[in-house]
Amino acid sequence: MIEIKHLYKSYDKPVLKDVNLSVRRGSILGLLGPNGAGKTTLISILTGVIRKESGCITVGGRDLDRELKAIQLKCSYVPQTLAFYRLLTAFENLEYFGALWGLKGKKLKERMEFCIDIGSMQPFAKKRVDQFSGGMKRRLNLAIGLLNAPEILYLDEPTVGVDTQSRNYILETIRKINRERKTTIIYTSHYMDEIEQVSDEIAIIDEGKIILHDDKQAILTRDDAVLINVEKIGEAVVKGLQQIVGVRIEKNGVHVKRDERFNENMAGVFALFHAHGVLVKDAVFGRRTLEKLFLKLTDIRLRDEG
Amino acid sequence: MIKILYILKKEFLLIIRDIHAVTVLFIMPAVFIMIMSLAMRDLFELHGAVSIDVLAVNQDAGKKSEAFLKAMDALRTFRFHLIEKEAAADKVKEQMLARDYKFALIIKENFSAFVEKNGKGKEGKPLELLVNPAVNVQTQLVLKSALDGKLAKLTWDAFIDRMGSLLPLAGIDREKLTATEESPVEVNYVYKEGQYSKIPSAVQQSVPAWLVFSMFFIVIPISNTFISEREQGTLMRLKSMNVSKFYLIMGKMAPYLLINAIQVVIMIAMGVYIVPFLGGTALTLGDSMGGLILIAASVSFSAISMALLIASAARTTEQATTVGGVLNIIFGALGGIMVPKFVMPEFMQNLADMSPMSWGLEGFLDIFLRNGNVSDVLPKSLYLFIFGVVMLTLTAILLRRRREV
Repeated sequence: MIEIKHLYKSYDKPVLKDVNLSVRRGSILGLLGPNGAGKTTLISILTGVIRKESGCITVGGRDLDRELKAIQLKCSYVPQTLAFYRLLTAFENLEYFGALWGLKGKKLKERMEFCIDIGSMQPFAKKRVDQFSGGMKRRLNLAIGLLNAPEILYLDEPTVGVDTQSRNYILETIRKINRERKTTIIYTSHYMDEIEQVSDEIAIIDEGKIILHDDKQAILTRDDAVLINVEKIGEAVVKGLQQIVGVRIEKNGVHVKRDERFNENMAGVFALFHAHGVLVKDAVFGRRTLEKLFLKLTDIRLRDEG
Repeated sequence: MIKILYILKKEFLLIIRDIHAVTVLFIMPAVFIMIMSLAMRDLFELHGAVSIDVLAVNQDAGKKSEAFLKAMDALRTFRFHLIEKEAAADKVKEQMLARDYKFALIIKENFSAFVEKNGKGKEGKPLELLVNPAVNVQTQLVLKSALDGKLAKLTWDAFIDRMGSLLPLAGIDREKLTATEESPVEVNYVYKEGQYSKIPSAVQQSVPAWLVFSMFFIVIPISNTFISEREQGTLMRLKSMNVSKFYLIMGKMAPYLLINAIQVVIMIAMGVYIVPFLGGTALTLGDSMGGLILIAASVSFSAISMALLIASAARTTEQATTVGGVLNIIFGALGGIMVPKFVMPEFMQNLADMSPMSWGLEGFLDIFLRNGNVSDVLPKSLYLFIFGVVMLTLTAILLRRRREV
């Protein structure tokens, strides 16, 4: 659906350097990256807000440079900021943005009703937005982005500053839109659990480059292992364990990798322990979290200094 | 077209619901027009209306003082408030201070005798003028000169009356000896352009002045919405929606042109209906509707363009409203809004010509005061239009540099 090749963009210094990314039609891509990694610049280029310097982007087989207008009509962008008018009601905001999408008459009314419904805004649709709670504002921000029934939806941290209920509601809505309309979604967030919850694919961008991009399951199960805590083990056991591919000995215990030979390896390890009378204290299914992976890949240091 | 209608609706709703914008655009100028039209009424109409109040006591035993007071009243520069004849000088002083009069005139008992004896006699001076020391010398001189003049005329006329029967014998035409009421000096107000013109009344000055001033205060709502749109990502959202630059610019221009037009109608209505209802004179509109529309549209275009530049250059709404407000006040002070241009010295009038508010104000005065038409306001409209185009060009350059358009 979206193909990005060798994308380059700089302001005073390079912001995106040779970005390559491919997003499948109908999938949800979770885009992660530290502050200043280039996430917003990438989305701004994809939405046509700013222009790239070099590289090639195609959306649905169309070249972004040559067919920007046609592409924009099929996309929608929900900024991280609450991009609407606080002195207007939710209804008036939807009406205004809908009209700017070129909707009118019955079609405009239908889309507004859909958006009010999907944002659960019926009770307060005619209230001024400056009276809304944080969660209500976020739902309206998302609802405005759905007015044109987009094929591609760009969501830039859509749950910042909302309570758990509203956050869950927004995440469920995103899944629902994706499921029912096959909308392709690019989703940025700082909340790893959100990305884990909603994404089909995950990409990590840092210092202007995509450093990891894969299916969520592949990423989350990479380096999965079972950690076995044991009493002291002798040299013979160590030698025996070293013979098994996928098993390593570390200070905190014996790690057995969860790959295709996992069952066979586990049987070998326990047979060895049994033969040498090694007492197993406990065994933990250690699953690598996205957060740990992210910190490892992007370096733990703070990025606020720029 | 339908997009423009929704843009207009949105901007109107934003302004109507923004109490600060409503205050600055509609309430402030309306209040200024009322206050200034009434407060400055006498100052502006010094040449035609009563303006200086004088406490007076007429102790004259004869009849000449009545003719004297009547002649003074006819000048329409002073308003005499007579108190009881028996009031002594001390009581007059007491009342003058108590009632806050700047002047008190005591017409002495010998006034008629003085006039009839052609200014001769041992009784002393027939008029005593009591003056509050705070009154400036020029104003004192105006009153004193008027009193001297009227007394001299009265005395001369009395002399001619006494000589009346002898004049024909000497072959003298009595009419030619009578001092005329009419001043031999013709007064014309000369504007810098060399155009002989009328001086505006308070309402004729106040309505266009505060109207132009308030039209330039469009910078407040424009900055509020423009900077909010930028800060809150609405501008980015609109750009991602492929809303064309035409709609983005028209989205700012069209609603505020209309809001300025509403200001024009309301402020003119204030001058025509409300100010006279409160005791001031009514605003006269002149005959050129085309000229009025042209100058109003030109002021509006330049005000909106300047507001857009300020809103684009400012980082925050606070910055924009402060810079915009200060610039407006400077342009207003310079351009004859706060101090009428005709009372400024020449070098200040030259400086005033640098203010776009002055071009707008002069354009409105051309229509309201000088019965001007489209061709009369065209040069001022052209200045305003060029000013607006320069502002818009700078705005476009600035936005492009900041990658906001």
